[in-house]
Amino acid sequence: MLKPHRVVLDKVSSYTDEAAAFMRRRRHHRREFVRIRFQSGAEADLPEGTPEADRIAESARRLIELG
Amino acid sequence: MPGQVTWPVCCYTVADVTGKSDESGGNALASAAGRVLENLAELEPELVAAGIFDAAREPVAVASGSSAWASEAAVLLDAVEAGSGDEKLDSAHIACEGGEAFVVSESGLSLVAVTGRFVLASLTSYDMRMALRDAVRSAGLNPASEAENGGNADA
Repeated sequence: MLKPHRVVLDKVSSYTDEAAAFMRRRRHHRREFVRIRFQSGAEADLPEGTPEADRIAESARRLIELG
Repeated sequence: MPGQVTWPVCCYTVADVTGKSDESGGNALASAAGRVLENLAELEPELVAAGIFDAAREPVAVASGSSAWASEAAVLLDAVEAGSGDEKLDSAHIACEGGEAFVVSESGLSLVAVTGRFVLASLTSYDMRMALRDAVRSAGLNPASEAENGGNADA
Protein backbone atom coordinates (compact mmCIF):
# COMPACT_ATOMS: atom_id res chain seq x y z
CA MET A 1 0.00 0.00 0.00
CA LEU A 2 1.26 3.48 -0.91
CA LYS A 3 1.99 5.91 1.84
CA PRO A 4 -0.52 8.82 1.93
CA HIS A 5 2.04 11.44 0.94
CA ARG A 6 2.98 9.30 -2.09
CA VAL A 7 -0.63 9.39 -3.28
CA VAL A 8 -0.69 13.17 -3.03
CA LEU A 9 2.67 13.47 -4.82
CA ASP A 10 1.53 11.14 -7.61
CA LYS A 11 -1.66 13.15 -8.09
CA VAL A 12 0.19 16.46 -8.20
CA SER A 13 2.77 15.15 -10.63
CA SER A 14 0.08 13.66 -12.87
CA TYR A 15 -1.77 17.00 -12.95
CA THR A 16 1.43 18.86 -13.86
CA ASP A 17 2.15 16.30 -16.59
CA GLU A 18 -1.33 16.86 -18.00
CA ALA A 19 -0.88 20.63 -17.91
CA ALA A 20 2.52 20.38 -19.61
CA ALA A 21 1.09 18.12 -22.33
CA PHE A 22 -1.78 20.56 -22.88
CA MET A 23 0.66 23.45 -23.28
CA ARG A 24 2.81 21.42 -25.69
CA ARG A 25 -0.23 20.53 -27.80
CA ARG A 26 -1.44 24.11 -27.80
CA ARG A 27 1.99 25.39 -28.84
CA HIS A 28 2.17 22.80 -31.62
CA HIS A 29 -1.29 23.68 -32.90
CA ARG A 30 -0.49 27.36 -33.02
CA ARG A 31 2.87 26.86 -34.69
CA GLU A 32 3.13 28.48 -38.08
CA PHE A 33 5.44 27.20 -40.77
CA VAL A 34 6.42 27.75 -44.37
CA ARG A 35 7.37 24.56 -46.20
CA ILE A 36 8.56 24.62 -49.79
CA ARG A 37 9.13 21.64 -52.02
CA PHE A 38 11.40 22.00 -55.03
CA GLN A 39 11.33 20.23 -58.37
CA SER A 40 14.55 18.47 -57.41
CA GLY A 41 12.52 16.66 -54.73
CA ALA A 42 14.17 18.55 -51.89
CA GLU A 43 12.03 20.18 -49.23
CA ALA A 44 12.80 23.14 -47.03
CA ASP A 45 11.17 24.61 -43.96
CA LEU A 46 11.97 28.30 -44.13
CA PRO A 47 13.18 29.39 -40.72
CA GLU A 48 10.85 31.72 -38.88
CA GLY A 49 12.01 35.31 -38.76
CA THR A 50 13.78 35.33 -42.12
CA PRO A 51 12.52 37.99 -44.56
CA GLU A 52 11.41 35.36 -47.10
CA ALA A 53 9.43 33.33 -44.56
CA ASP A 54 7.86 36.47 -43.08
CA ARG A 55 6.82 37.73 -46.51
CA ILE A 56 5.26 34.39 -47.45
CA ALA A 57 3.51 34.00 -44.10
CA GLU A 58 2.17 37.55 -44.27
CA SER A 59 0.73 37.05 -47.77
CA ALA A 60 -0.73 33.68 -46.76
CA ARG A 61 -2.34 35.26 -43.69
CA ARG A 62 -3.96 37.98 -45.84
CA LEU A 63 -5.16 35.35 -48.30
CA ILE A 64 -6.66 33.24 -45.52
CA GLU A 65 -8.41 36.26 -44.04
CA LEU A 66 -9.94 37.13 -47.41
CA GLY A 67 -11.17 33.57 -47.85
CA MET B 1 -28.83 19.15 -49.31
CA PRO B 2 -28.46 20.49 -45.75
CA GLY B 3 -25.05 21.85 -44.90
CA GLN B 4 -23.98 22.00 -48.52
CA VAL B 5 -22.16 25.14 -49.48
CA THR B 6 -22.50 26.71 -52.87
CA TRP B 7 -19.20 27.43 -54.45
CA PRO B 8 -19.22 30.21 -56.99
CA VAL B 9 -16.56 29.83 -59.62
CA CYS B 10 -15.84 32.82 -61.73
CA CYS B 11 -13.64 32.40 -64.75
CA TYR B 12 -11.35 34.91 -66.32
CA THR B 13 -10.07 34.50 -69.80
CA VAL B 14 -6.48 35.33 -69.86
CA ALA B 15 -3.38 35.50 -71.56
CA ASP B 16 -1.72 33.20 -73.70
CA VAL B 17 -0.47 30.45 -71.47
CA THR B 18 -1.18 28.04 -74.23
CA GLY B 19 1.16 29.59 -76.69
CA LYS B 20 -1.78 29.91 -79.06
CA SER B 21 -2.86 33.33 -80.10
CA ASP B 22 -6.50 32.39 -80.78
CA GLU B 23 -9.08 33.04 -78.12
CA SER B 24 -10.48 29.53 -78.13
CA GLY B 25 -7.37 28.13 -76.42
CA GLY B 26 -7.75 30.61 -73.55
CA ASN B 27 -11.47 29.93 -73.27
CA ALA B 28 -10.93 26.18 -73.21
CA LEU B 29 -8.38 26.55 -70.45
CA ALA B 30 -10.60 28.91 -68.45
CA SER B 31 -13.61 26.60 -68.65
CA ALA B 32 -11.47 23.54 -67.85
CA ALA B 33 -9.94 25.39 -64.92
CA GLY B 34 -13.37 26.39 -63.61
CA ARG B 35 -14.55 22.81 -63.83
CA VAL B 36 -11.52 21.38 -62.03
CA LEU B 37 -11.95 23.92 -59.24
CA GLU B 38 -15.51 22.72 -58.76
CA ASN B 39 -14.28 19.13 -58.67
CA LEU B 40 -11.59 20.09 -56.19
CA ALA B 41 -14.18 21.69 -53.93
CA GLU B 42 -16.10 18.42 -53.91
CA LEU B 43 -12.97 16.45 -53.06
CA GLU B 44 -11.83 18.83 -50.32
CA PRO B 45 -14.54 19.63 -47.80
CA GLU B 46 -12.18 21.98 -45.97
CA LEU B 47 -11.43 24.06 -49.05
CA VAL B 48 -12.20 27.73 -48.52
CA ALA B 49 -10.98 29.33 -51.74
CA ALA B 50 -8.86 28.39 -54.72
CA GLY B 51 -7.56 29.80 -57.96
CA ILE B 52 -5.58 28.74 -60.99
CA PHE B 53 -3.00 31.16 -62.35
CA ASP B 54 -0.90 31.18 -65.46
CA ALA B 55 2.84 31.76 -65.66
CA ALA B 56 2.29 35.54 -65.73
CA ARG B 57 0.31 35.29 -62.45
CA GLU B 58 -2.90 36.15 -64.25
CA PRO B 59 -5.96 34.35 -62.90
CA VAL B 60 -7.38 31.68 -65.20
CA ALA B 61 -10.17 30.70 -62.82
CA VAL B 62 -10.84 31.77 -59.26
CA ALA B 63 -13.33 30.50 -56.71
CA SER B 64 -13.53 32.89 -53.82
CA GLY B 65 -16.03 35.18 -52.20
CA SER B 66 -13.59 38.07 -52.32
CA SER B 67 -12.67 40.06 -55.41
CA ALA B 68 -9.25 40.89 -53.96
CA TRP B 69 -8.39 37.23 -53.46
CA ALA B 70 -6.84 36.73 -56.90
CA SER B 71 -4.41 39.62 -56.53
CA GLU B 72 -3.41 38.49 -53.02
CA ALA B 73 -2.85 34.98 -54.33
CA ALA B 74 -0.58 36.39 -57.04
CA VAL B 75 1.40 38.17 -54.32
CA LEU B 76 1.73 34.89 -52.44
CA LEU B 77 2.91 33.15 -55.61
CA ASP B 78 5.56 35.83 -56.08
CA ALA B 79 6.65 35.54 -52.46
CA VAL B 80 6.92 31.75 -52.63
CA GLU B 81 8.86 31.96 -55.89
CA ALA B 82 11.23 34.47 -54.30
CA GLY B 83 11.58 32.25 -51.24
CA SER B 84 12.62 29.30 -53.40
CA GLY B 85 15.88 31.03 -54.28
CA ASP B 86 17.73 29.34 -57.11
CA GLU B 87 15.71 26.13 -56.93
CA LYS B 88 12.60 25.65 -59.04
CA LEU B 89 9.37 25.65 -57.09
CA ASP B 90 7.23 22.56 -57.08
CA SER B 91 4.80 23.21 -54.23
CA ALA B 92 4.46 25.05 -50.95
CA HIS B 93 2.49 24.61 -47.76
CA ILE B 94 2.02 27.50 -45.38
CA ALA B 95 0.29 26.99 -42.05
CA CYS B 96 -1.09 29.96 -40.19
CA GLU B 97 -3.28 30.19 -37.14
CA GLY B 98 -6.44 30.83 -39.15
CA GLY B 99 -5.92 28.25 -41.87
CA GLU B 100 -3.50 26.82 -44.37
CA ALA B 101 -2.43 27.88 -47.83
CA PHE B 102 -1.19 25.54 -50.52
CA VAL B 103 0.57 26.27 -53.79
CA VAL B 104 1.22 23.70 -56.49
CA SER B 105 2.90 24.53 -59.80
CA GLU B 106 2.67 22.28 -62.79
CA SER B 107 2.90 22.71 -66.56
CA GLY B 108 3.12 26.49 -66.39
CA LEU B 109 0.03 26.80 -64.23
CA SER B 110 -0.17 27.34 -60.48
CA LEU B 111 -2.99 26.40 -58.19
CA VAL B 112 -3.34 28.33 -54.96
CA ALA B 113 -5.78 27.05 -52.33
CA VAL B 114 -6.80 28.09 -48.85
CA THR B 115 -8.14 25.43 -46.50
CA GLY B 116 -9.09 25.11 -42.88
CA ARG B 117 -6.46 24.21 -40.29
CA PHE B 118 -5.04 20.69 -39.96
CA VAL B 119 -6.04 19.24 -43.30
CA LEU B 120 -4.07 16.30 -44.66
CA ALA B 121 -1.34 18.19 -46.47
CA SER B 122 -0.10 15.45 -48.78
CA LEU B 123 -3.62 14.53 -49.85
CA THR B 124 -4.52 18.15 -50.53
CA SER B 125 -1.36 18.69 -52.58
CA TYR B 126 -2.02 15.50 -54.51
CA ASP B 127 -5.60 16.53 -55.33
CA MET B 128 -4.39 19.97 -56.39
CA ARG B 129 -1.75 18.46 -58.68
CA MET B 130 -4.29 16.13 -60.24
CA ALA B 131 -6.66 19.08 -60.73
CA LEU B 132 -3.96 21.03 -62.56
CA ARG B 133 -3.14 18.04 -64.78
CA ASP B 134 -6.82 17.63 -65.50
CA ALA B 135 -7.11 21.29 -66.53
CA VAL B 136 -4.08 21.03 -68.79
CA ARG B 137 -5.33 17.81 -70.37
CA SER B 138 -8.89 19.09 -70.82
CA ALA B 139 -7.70 22.29 -72.44
CA GLY B 140 -5.67 20.23 -74.88
CA LEU B 141 -2.37 21.74 -73.87
CA ASN B 142 0.91 19.97 -74.21
CA PRO B 143 2.42 19.91 -70.72
CA ALA B 144 5.91 19.22 -71.98
CA SER B 145 5.99 22.34 -74.10
CA GLU B 146 4.19 24.54 -71.63
CA ALA B 147 6.67 25.78 -69.18
CA GLU B 148 9.71 25.27 -67.19
CA ASN B 149 7.91 23.33 -64.50
CA GLY B 150 7.08 19.90 -65.74
CA GLY B 151 6.07 18.72 -62.29
CA ASN B 152 6.81 15.44 -60.63
CA ALA B 153 5.88 12.45 -62.67
CA ASP B 154 5.66 10.34 -59.54
CA ALA B 155 3.10 12.55 -57.82
